[in-house]
Amino acid sequence: MAATLCRILLPKQGWLPFTQCVRHGSKSVTRHKRPLHFLKQKLMSVTRYIPPPRPAPIGAYPRQTIRDQEDDPFTILIKKKLKSVFQESKMIAVVQNSGSTADEMMLLKYKLHKHGITVKFFPNQVMRSFLKDSTYSNMAPLFIGHTVLFISKEPKVKEMLSSLRTSRHMLLLGACIDNTLLSAQGVVSYSKLPSVAVVQGELVSGLTLLTSQTAAMLQRHPAQLSALLQQHVKQQSSEGAPKAQEAT
Amino acid sequence: MFSIIKAAVGGLTALCRVNGHQQGLLHGHLKVLAAGLKTHDIPPDHSDVVLPDRRKLKFVNKMPNFKNAKKEMKNLKDIQGPATAANAFTKGEFAIVAMGGGYLHWGHIEMIRLTINRKMDPKTTFARWRINGPYKPVTRKGLGMRMGGGKGAIDQYVTPVRYGRFIVEVGGKVELGEIQRIMTEVAQKLPFKAEVFSRASLAAFQKKHADMEQNNQNPWTFKEITLGNMLGIRKVLSPKDLCHNGRFAGKFHLPWRV
Repeated sequence: MAATLCRILLPKQGWLPFTQCVRHGSKSVTRHKRPLHFLKQKLMSVTRYIPPPRPAPIGAYPRQTIRDQEDDPFTILIKKKLKSVFQESKMIAVVQNSGSTADEMMLLKYKLHKHGITVKFFPNQVMRSFLKDSTYSNMAPLFIGHTVLFISKEPKVKEMLSSLRTSRHMLLLGACIDNTLLSAQGVVSYSKLPSVAVVQGELVSGLTLLTSQTAAMLQRHPAQLSALLQQHVKQQSSEGAPKAQEAT
Repeated sequence: MFSIIKAAVGGLTALCRVNGHQQGLLHGHLKVLAAGLKTHDIPPDHSDVVLPDRRKLKFVNKMPNFKNAKKEMKNLKDIQGPATAANAFTKGEFAIVAMGGGYLHWGHIEMIRLTINRKMDPKTTFARWRINGPYKPVTRKGLGMRMGGGKGAIDQYVTPVRYGRFIVEVGGKVELGEIQRIMTEVAQKLPFKAEVFSRASLAAFQKKHADMEQNNQNPWTFKEITLGNMLGIRKVLSPKDLCHNGRFAGKFHLPWRV
């Protein structure tokens, strides 16, 4: 009877159940937390939850790419000022200021003001972003470090260079004179150029050389003019004869 | 003349405001005091909520109506593991959910019923039981009795509760803030850890666990090791560990396990 009962209980032929522990030690559901077997402790520690690495807090590292940010109102104000400066002034010189004192600065400002040159300070970042959008983009490398701007409506380079020569801390980096970029050496050579009037005079005289000579000749005594013309004819005939002899 | 002055002053104040707000270049230290308007949130609309007729919690019997009460085995596995029944919202919005396993006897049930019935407003709120009345007989021998002499007599009846089971569900034209205080008061008195959840917060809680499972950086999982019986670890584990994957220890739920 027990065998038949066993047959009903075991569904498949030759199927044996797992070995079940008959000895009961302690209960599995307890009011306290049951002490874990050491191997189970190890298993729990091996299979613990490891969270994903947390990103750095905002502001911990500087941004890799400087995104285009909207300008704040003060920057917009400075840019308007810069625009007017670039439009009105013919000479814009960039000078490096390596630690000049307030007295020196004041003296320099007064010296330059006598010649109509104003000294301006603008933040480099704003300057660079303004230049990036304007036609003067090649001036951007000049604005690194402590820079001062010398602005004037007339390009008075000689006076500026003389005042810079005397000041110890100011170093000319470059200038934009009449919409042309010049390096420091270029500015020096520009200063050595003759003035516009002189150059214009030279050009005019060069163009009108021949006509002025003929005008002068005509104004002299007609006897001189006739003698000159006779000489000219003789020369031409003498030149023509040897040329014909050479040909034959 | 006055217009010029006004314009100048206006420009100056604008500059000051600009200086106060912009952060990059000048680090303006000028503080601008501005008066603001208080904006109120729109209160939620409970017009579609239908309240039942009987809003308070029903009285629950101390013991079932048995003519011949039978003693039962201890059967502690009705505490073990997660709940499969009554672990989701039905009609209510907020619920007390068990965060561990345990037995609730009539004293607990009465405490819940009386506290909630007394403190809730029946005009706007309703409450429902999500547990049965005590049905499991618990035997106890008399004080000072020696071992042996048969099983003890039935002392009381209890309701077994698993982790994740709802105890009481509350709903109606209320928000969590109104009802949370009452429910946490009740939840703290229960013999197991219990928490108050709303529909949204329960979903968030479950999602958090699902995310933990997803973004676990550990290449070794309890499930993998136990299923494959690696290193013969099943010698020191119980068959229940296969189902629960190390998240439960007896009646306790281990929230730091994934």
